[in-house]
Amino acid sequence: MMNDCRTLSQNARIAVLAARDLQDEKSCFVGIGIPSDAACLAKLSHAPNLSMIYESGVIGTLPYSPAMSTGSPSIAYNSDMITDSFTVFGELQAGRIDIGLLSAAQVDAFGNLNSTVIGPYENPKIRMVGSGGAHDIACLVPELIILMPHDSRRFVNDVDFITSPGANKEFAETRLKNKLGSGPVSLITDRARFYMSKDGWKLDAPLAGYSYDEATEDLPWDVGKGINNSITISDDLFNAIRYLPYLEAKN
Amino acid sequence: MDNNFKISKKTKIVSLESAITDNIKPGNIVFLGGFGHAIPFYSSHEIIRQNIKDLTICRSGADILFDQMIASGIVSKVIFGYIGNPGVGLSHSFRKAVKDHKILLEEWTNYSLILRLHAGRMGLPFIPSKILQIGDMPDNIKYMKTIKCPYTDIDMSAIPALVPDVAVIHAQQADEFGNIQMWGVDGDTIEGALASNKIIVSVERIVDNSEIKKFPDRTVIPAHRVSAVVELPWGAYPSYVTDFYSRDDKHYIEYDKISREPDLLNDYIDEWIRNIQSIEEYIKLIGKKNLKELQNGMCGLKSNDE
Repeated sequence: MMNDCRTLSQNARIAVLAARDLQDEKSCFVGIGIPSDAACLAKLSHAPNLSMIYESGVIGTLPYSPAMSTGSPSIAYNSDMITDSFTVFGELQAGRIDIGLLSAAQVDAFGNLNSTVIGPYENPKIRMVGSGGAHDIACLVPELIILMPHDSRRFVNDVDFITSPGANKEFAETRLKNKLGSGPVSLITDRARFYMSKDGWKLDAPLAGYSYDEATEDLPWDVGKGINNSITISDDLFNAIRYLPYLEAKN
Repeated sequence: MDNNFKISKKTKIVSLESAITDNIKPGNIVFLGGFGHAIPFYSSHEIIRQNIKDLTICRSGADILFDQMIASGIVSKVIFGYIGNPGVGLSHSFRKAVKDHKILLEEWTNYSLILRLHAGRMGLPFIPSKILQIGDMPDNIKYMKTIKCPYTDIDMSAIPALVPDVAVIHAQQADEFGNIQMWGVDGDTIEGALASNKIIVSVERIVDNSEIKKFPDRTVIPAHRVSAVVELPWGAYPSYVTDFYSRDDKHYIEYDKISREPDLLNDYIDEWIRNIQSIEEYIKLIGKKNLKELQNGMCGLKSNDE
């Protein structure tokens, strides 16, 4: 029987879909929240050798209780290594961390992300937290996966501020010329997976249980018809959710 | 050498009041330590109590301590990569200060801020990096220069050094001479301390120099770089200190509600900061039950004994 993803919370759906993109024996730079949850699910199912690296300097951990900060006790507790931020960002810049996971308030068709301001920078309607490590991860990591709840306000033609740069033509050229990471490869929502093309996001497929119309509802971009019918979640991955009860509880 | 030979060394232990008065002046650039772990809440509160104004405060990822400092009206500028309430939401005092144009921003990213401190720590004017070349840049970064690598011809950002006047950090232990030992999450704390001209350290406990010598590799800042040491158990509350107490997540969640409302926030600052005369009063305010729970919590005493 196919696993019914509609029974999952919004965050859990994003996390299981994103976890599929995290292969065993890769290393990934993760932030707090759904990125960390996705990496945990991958590690608990198909990717036991996935290395999770937090910007606080913590490496090789598996937080069973929700952490509020990358420096939180549940991240530090039971880890394999605690170094400093300078070291882990250095590994990232040297191209030795394979995958990055990011979320933000807004995303555009080329994966430019905004976590700085809603409205103009000098006179913002909402002043948000700022880049943190997000800009750095987006510039440096070879493969970037973007995670977003399906909320039409978050999907825009132009983000108000490009905190974390994406893969539009100009940026892609600079990325290549100055040997940066190649930027966003996939966008995961709680309804579908999209991949990056030279024309921006294209639909891979809706999550099992979701229709094409639901997967593309209110998206301002032409994401095509999809290349697969639907994405099913493996039993292993689906069952891993019970190890992270807080993922189910939220919503 | 004769084991009985004694060198008379100067103690760095002072009162918190004089540590702050003697080392922090109006207009200073102050680095505040703690990347989620060992945030110097109590010693920074003394800066608020002494009402030392026109400060620039800096670090990479900043949490509600920055919010409290901004709300107290002593901060004129922030140099930062992130200011928020991690895992909870925005920094409401920061948001309001930006909206009302009451604060100057010098906005970087976490890595660039760390590189700025690292350059400062090494006495270099800048460090080249691949970041900050694409995307939107706040004005301060627009003025940052780029440099061509003399070997590869690749364009890079020339990230300028940051040398704070003084760093305020919290750690597990120190001896009276100022040898500082810290373990657990560092983030950019040591980077920021060693980038700074002066370093003020509060610690959970003062230990004998013989304890320091047992594990000298745990010493992160040598005595000669330290200006003042203050013993302040629970000085990092509501953040945590590895092997001492856990993080009071509830306090951070509660602070989100309080800091949305100016009246509630003013009462909070009175209760937790302005009216507090000693670390004993701070510990009393945390409450016996809470102290016990936090000591037994993750990364506290109990989890370490397991």
